[in-house]
Amino acid sequence: MKMIQQKLRRRLVLGCALAIGFSMPFTLPALAAAATLTVMQSEAPRSMDPGDQTATFTAAVLDPMYEGLVRRDPDLSLRPALATEWSADASGLIWTFKLRQGVKFHDGTPFDADAVVKNFARHLDTKRGLAASGRLRTFLDSVTAIDASTVQFKLKTKYPAFIALLSTGPCLIVSPTADAAGTIGTKAVGTGPYKLMEYKSGEYVLQAKNTEWWDGAPKGSDEIKWTWTTETSVMSMALQTGDADIVNPLPPAFANQLKNNTDMAVNASEGSAVFWVSLNTKMKPLDDVKVRQALNYATDRDGLVRAFMQGYATPANSPLAPVTPGYDKTLAPYDYDVDKAKALLAEAGYPDGFAMTTIVQDQEARIGELLQAMWAKAGVKLEVKRMESGVWSKAAFLDPAGKEKDGISSSIASWSSGVSGADLQFRPLYYSRSASPTGANLGFFADPKLDELIDKAASTLDEKARNTIYGEAQKVVNEQAPHVLLFTKQDLYATRSTVSGAWMIPGGLVVVKDARK
Amino acid sequence: MKSYILRKLLALPLILIGVSLLVFLAIRALPGDPARLMAGPEATQEAVDNMRSRLGLDRTLVAQYAEFAGNAVQGDLGLSIKSKLPVVDEIAERMPYTIGLAVCAYLLAISIGVPAGMIGAIYRHGWPDQAVMLLAIVGASIANFWLALMAMNTFSVGLGWLPLLGASSWKSFILPSVTLAVLPTAVIARMTRSSMIEVLAQDYIRTARAKGLAPGSVYWGHALRNALIPIVTIIGLNFGSLIGGAVVTESVFNWPGIGRLLVDSVRYRDYPVIQGVTLVAVTGVVMMNFLAELAIAVLNPKIRLD
Repeated sequence: MKMIQQKLRRRLVLGCALAIGFSMPFTLPALAAAATLTVMQSEAPRSMDPGDQTATFTAAVLDPMYEGLVRRDPDLSLRPALATEWSADASGLIWTFKLRQGVKFHDGTPFDADAVVKNFARHLDTKRGLAASGRLRTFLDSVTAIDASTVQFKLKTKYPAFIALLSTGPCLIVSPTADAAGTIGTKAVGTGPYKLMEYKSGEYVLQAKNTEWWDGAPKGSDEIKWTWTTETSVMSMALQTGDADIVNPLPPAFANQLKNNTDMAVNASEGSAVFWVSLNTKMKPLDDVKVRQALNYATDRDGLVRAFMQGYATPANSPLAPVTPGYDKTLAPYDYDVDKAKALLAEAGYPDGFAMTTIVQDQEARIGELLQAMWAKAGVKLEVKRMESGVWSKAAFLDPAGKEKDGISSSIASWSSGVSGADLQFRPLYYSRSASPTGANLGFFADPKLDELIDKAASTLDEKARNTIYGEAQKVVNEQAPHVLLFTKQDLYATRSTVSGAWMIPGGLVVVKDARK
Repeated sequence: MKSYILRKLLALPLILIGVSLLVFLAIRALPGDPARLMAGPEATQEAVDNMRSRLGLDRTLVAQYAEFAGNAVQGDLGLSIKSKLPVVDEIAERMPYTIGLAVCAYLLAISIGVPAGMIGAIYRHGWPDQAVMLLAIVGASIANFWLALMAMNTFSVGLGWLPLLGASSWKSFILPSVTLAVLPTAVIARMTRSSMIEVLAQDYIRTARAKGLAPGSVYWGHALRNALIPIVTIIGLNFGSLIGGAVVTESVFNWPGIGRLLVDSVRYRDYPVIQGVTLVAVTGVVMMNFLAELAIAVLNPKIRLD
């Protein structure tokens, strides 16, 4: 007995030693010094390659490391970056760019016309299947080098948002050397004021100043550390303990709580994500414009903003966000008026209302519940189908037959084309040929007049004339009401009160390359 | 004994094939399309199709599984759709963190649960017993997630004693492992109590008492040793739920282990990572059960494994 006990003990000791041995590789670098600015966001970065991802919060992580030919300044104007000047020919289809000289990528590769050509060629190559190529491929024909510091873009069609797009994801210039090596997805190499130090896909992204930046010494902190959590309450706690200097996005529920804390600063600015209910115009009774208008009258937008967004949103009066060029703030299509809604329903032949369904993602489920209560007052019985986001996107992008089969008569959705131009909002959401599954016209809305306006605006390069056309397009859409407009979300982020120099590109992209604490 | 071990080891590949097939089919049956998620909501159908063919998801399920299984046998679990890193590297980097957390939690659970259960058995129906059992019920029913948030709010935000997030020092282990240990502690305490009660009623315990052994020697030397078998069994069998708890705990504490990796990969429908993590976790659970059986054989020579 004694012997067995001893053996047992020996085994236990051995087991524990093994177990502890396994758990030993915990020699981590000491936590960074005070000059590290820590930013916590709600999701992990999806790629270190700006051309191979489409998420805003990843774009924020990549922003300090990459630059485009054009950049956006804090006043939201577009300024030269890697290009010094540009011009278009009379057709508006041929654009010539002079490139900045003496710029080097973080890996030492020179930035020149060849690098630019390769960057766009990879998007035009369907075999690459890069995540962000889609938008460019709709209008870009080719990019060629004229000489070492001049490139020429040939467009298939006129595209007013072209220059704005050059400051975003797919047009940020990556090192052609790193791209050819196939490492750009995990090791960022750009020309920006910060370079990648370390990317631990389960923990953080660490960036340090690029001392050889072409625009002088970077103004921000010595290092920027990006972390992420999916738990919103953890974000707020991290800000309080100082584990994070900036959290983005801040859930509205925490904004009011943090606002009273002098150690924190809550920042709210006009955002670009428009929320709406896309109505299935192919399904009865929503094929009747009166029914669609009735639902708009039955919706209390101010109430929604208060209840769902704690006030951090703007009731929507247009399919465009207030920050989108061409937005018309004078539109006031539908006041909250239950009697009018009932009258319209009666006119359409539904004096006792009708029943319909909507699909909504988990995080926005409350919108569905609120609409259910509001519309019930007009006699509309709304069944809310709540879904995990992956499931939702599959259901939302079904074709008319699929939606008929699954009984999906509407979808609660949001879209953010930001400051890049109205075409990026109108075309995917309301153009007849963008009907899902091809595009995000989830309600299969088709109106020849609107299609014509969208096309006409897209080929009008004069901004004022273009905005007039978009004004008309907004009126057509509002009148035809293929949607129930809800609200435009404000962008909310919070910082420790010692942080300065951070700013927001509408749509949720927090810019921290000039931020200090 | 040798033939038993051999048989168990031979069964492992069969279990893994079964589980991998199940996971492979189950995640593909889930609605949600990784190509659509990668290309973004505004992508055209063409862009989504290009992405799908790049990810190899346009091939038949049979072809996809054959490739996955063929590579897995050679230790290659493919590339993560999201991070583009080899899944094996992603798991290897995080594995020590999860093992470290699991070991800490288990050591904690055993060192509290076993004595607590013994106290319950020794003072059966007395107040110490009732206190232990009440705590065990609370521990077994409390939501791991809620407990984690409360602990963070109290010890990190409020008192500032312990780090809130991450795995940067030994102190970082305290909150996550305590949170993770609560459930197994409760289970072990209950099992120890009932097993001890049974043993304490045996004749040999009466004999031991009758011959004048000190109570400590009776309880630790005679009773516990005989009561250990069900306790070891439950420890082995509970490893699976410990991994399940780690998924939640790691996510809340930003712990860089495989539990958080799994949660992230489900969000992005990162098929290769989901498959890889599940395979590794299942292997771990099967191995733990196996070790528990071996331990039982060592504890009780009367049990013969053949």
